[in-house]
Amino acid sequence: MALLRIPAGLLWLLLAAALVAGTTRAATAPSEYQVKAVFLFNFAQFVDWPAEAFPRPDAPFVIGVLGDDPFGHQLDEVVRGETVNKRPLVVERYHSVAEIRDCNILFIGSTESGRLDQILTALKGRSILTVGDADPAGQRGIMIRLVNQNNRIRLRIDVAAAKAGNLTISSKLLRPAEIVGAGQG
Amino acid sequence: MIAIQPLWASAVSARPGRRRIVLGIRMAALPTTLAAVCLLAMAGVSRPVAAEPSSDELKQLSVEELMDIQVTSVARHPERLLQAPSAIQVITQEDIRRSGATSIAEALRLANNLEVAQKNAHDWAISARGFNTALANKLLVMIDGRTVYTPLYSGVFWDVQDYLLEDIDRIEVISGPGGTLWGANAVNGVINIITKSAADTKGVYAEAGGGNQLEEFGGARYGGTLTSDVDFRVYGKYFDRGAEEFANGASAADSWHQARGGFRIDSQSSPRDNLSLHGDFYDGHENVDTGGAAQTSGGNVVGHWTHLFSDRSDLSLQSYYDRTHLSDPIPAFLLGALSLAPAGTLQDDLTTFDTDFQHRFTLGQRHHIVWGLGYRFTHDVVRNAPALGFFPTTLDQNLFSAFLQDEILLSNQWSVIVGSKVEHNDYTGFEVEPNVRLEWNFTAGQTLWSAISRAARTPSRIDRDLSEPASSALIILEGGRDFGPEYVTAYELGYRGEIASRITGSISTFYNVYDDVRSTGFTPGTIVPLYFQNNLEGHTYGVELSGNYQVLENWSLHAGYDLLEETLHVKPGQFDLNNALNETADPKHQVSIRSALNLPREVELDATLRWVDDLHINNGATSATVPSYFELGARLAWRIVTGLELSVAGQNLLHAEHPEYGFPGPNRIEIGRSVYGKIAWRY
Repeated sequence: MALLRIPAGLLWLLLAAALVAGTTRAATAPSEYQVKAVFLFNFAQFVDWPAEAFPRPDAPFVIGVLGDDPFGHQLDEVVRGETVNKRPLVVERYHSVAEIRDCNILFIGSTESGRLDQILTALKGRSILTVGDADPAGQRGIMIRLVNQNNRIRLRIDVAAAKAGNLTISSKLLRPAEIVGAGQG
Repeated sequence: MIAIQPLWASAVSARPGRRRIVLGIRMAALPTTLAAVCLLAMAGVSRPVAAEPSSDELKQLSVEELMDIQVTSVARHPERLLQAPSAIQVITQEDIRRSGATSIAEALRLANNLEVAQKNAHDWAISARGFNTALANKLLVMIDGRTVYTPLYSGVFWDVQDYLLEDIDRIEVISGPGGTLWGANAVNGVINIITKSAADTKGVYAEAGGGNQLEEFGGARYGGTLTSDVDFRVYGKYFDRGAEEFANGASAADSWHQARGGFRIDSQSSPRDNLSLHGDFYDGHENVDTGGAAQTSGGNVVGHWTHLFSDRSDLSLQSYYDRTHLSDPIPAFLLGALSLAPAGTLQDDLTTFDTDFQHRFTLGQRHHIVWGLGYRFTHDVVRNAPALGFFPTTLDQNLFSAFLQDEILLSNQWSVIVGSKVEHNDYTGFEVEPNVRLEWNFTAGQTLWSAISRAARTPSRIDRDLSEPASSALIILEGGRDFGPEYVTAYELGYRGEIASRITGSISTFYNVYDDVRSTGFTPGTIVPLYFQNNLEGHTYGVELSGNYQVLENWSLHAGYDLLEETLHVKPGQFDLNNALNETADPKHQVSIRSALNLPREVELDATLRWVDDLHINNGATSATVPSYFELGARLAWRIVTGLELSVAGQNLLHAEHPEYGFPGPNRIEIGRSVYGKIAWRY
């Protein structure tokens, strides 16, 4: 192996980079699903569930993921050690809607978009806050959409659908969100 | 490397203030930004720059602030259309970084569904599903939407396709006909190289290093924000590579160096509009083993606009201008002891203008429709070498294309894609390239797919316009005036999914039927000139396996296997001088195993073992082989402090030299063991 040589031109390049660096701030963006996981955590605080949504007074608060899990370990990391109204937060993952028992927030993965109608029908009347990504086929009855618009996360909330599930969404969420669906009129 | 130590020290100490994390928040939202920054500072964030913010930090933010944070879409689901039921493999930025690859060609070794063989210090043979000859011509390669093949032979000059690898987002490799959406020449595969948005490359990156083969290299990028809606980056890269050796140990004298640079600007003028403008240039000098040196240079400017009408409809428009210059030494044309033409230089200047339009929309609940139009104009000027040339020397060509595709959701689990592309080229007129694809998501995360497609490889200049030699009374080989397109009909069946909780995998199988493949005929009576015809037909079949196993949280394994069986023959009653041996040069089996291990104290250890079967190479009077070989690549990296990384990487570690390509003999170039050290700095 030859001696490591750095050409003179390269030294200048590095020097210039070092000088520029002294005057600027670097920014590293978090990943899309890390931020979306934090949104799910926020929903637990800014949405009111009826008492009957919990089987026991000390039952945990369940965030479920249906289908492919895009969060990886991020969601578990976000809820670790957290509580909502003294209920510990737990994450559950489901392969099919039939596996869902006690769930408060359900993130429906994009792999499920094909059977969305079926899923929503199965959940009808239950107080489960349904959350999904943007879908080219539109809102289609999911309560909150987390839309990636040019690398920023936007909320699209169907108030009527949430109301049908007996859920009350705080104005803290509604104010910055785009209101869609039947709730619009 | 020791020489730059004092420089680093002074740069670090000269930096004012304490570094701290800043999220990618728009300047327009300054008040909330300040609040967020204060919050993060209060949260005791000593995590230095270039690390992702922790979830605890993000939880401190209000809903509005969260909405203001810019996110990277690394984990974003690839657009469905790209993901479409096909044999796709994606090389991620992390894969590239951890592999120790130093060029795009080297990074392509990470795709199991490609054949990658290094010919000499600067040239590569890369193909999918066979036909990896010295003039491999059945692949479509795009960098940020810009097609990079040469109309001289429908192939790719891999030596001049490169980028600052740190700023590549991902490389999508599709084996098999690319389907309807891709541009011309997607016969056996598509390589789609996608660089990061300028919004994702803010700050400084610098790298430098050197080794025995890759003698010295360096690169740098600086990215920032111009106005609240406009981000930019500029980058530069330089390397100097040493010569490889001939089989007899003599130097192949093929050392080379290349410099490149470029910029990218991404603007979001409204929430519905994205505008991107980017450009690159390069300049290189390549010594050639047969004597003399090649000069390569080029540049391009690309503009891309997307507009979102609604959730259900968007439009994109792209135009680019591209120029390449090649000056290549061509040895004398010898016929035994007789010299038909002296040595000289072939020059090629290619100018390309291309514009593409695409519209996607949803019709009802079930139909996702994409259609588009494209136009490409090329102006090619060749200055012939005595031994090799093209007639006409100046050629203008127009390529028109249109496509329409409908993805139909049949049920919750089934969808079908039907589409076709229609092209019009100046050589052969209209070509129709339809495909139909079926996708069955039989359980969550598991997909079976199947496809039937037809694609055409339209003639290139070498097929029609070649003259070898160019200035001689006696021409030995020339293009065929009636040379037509080569066709493939591909039948594919594949599976992709999560096999167990920590194992994902894919299986792609194919059966391809080829017709009108290139052959060489002779002139009745005089024998020469020999000329190109379309007298071959045949079929290929194969299997591509790949799997990922997350053994432990800090250790993952990746394995790949390819089987390829090729049967080409001369059509009944017709003739080929090379007896159907000249269009293929492929291993029957390829295996690779890759391990990625994270050790304590920010140390990464990576290794890739690959085995490539015998390669039957027939680019000569007789059939011969490149022997099968095992090779090993490895990389050890240590992040000393956040932002500063030292690494040592080795390529082809098992042999001092081994050949990957070329006809046997004293002039076959062998690829040597390569080890280099690197320092990388992100701020």
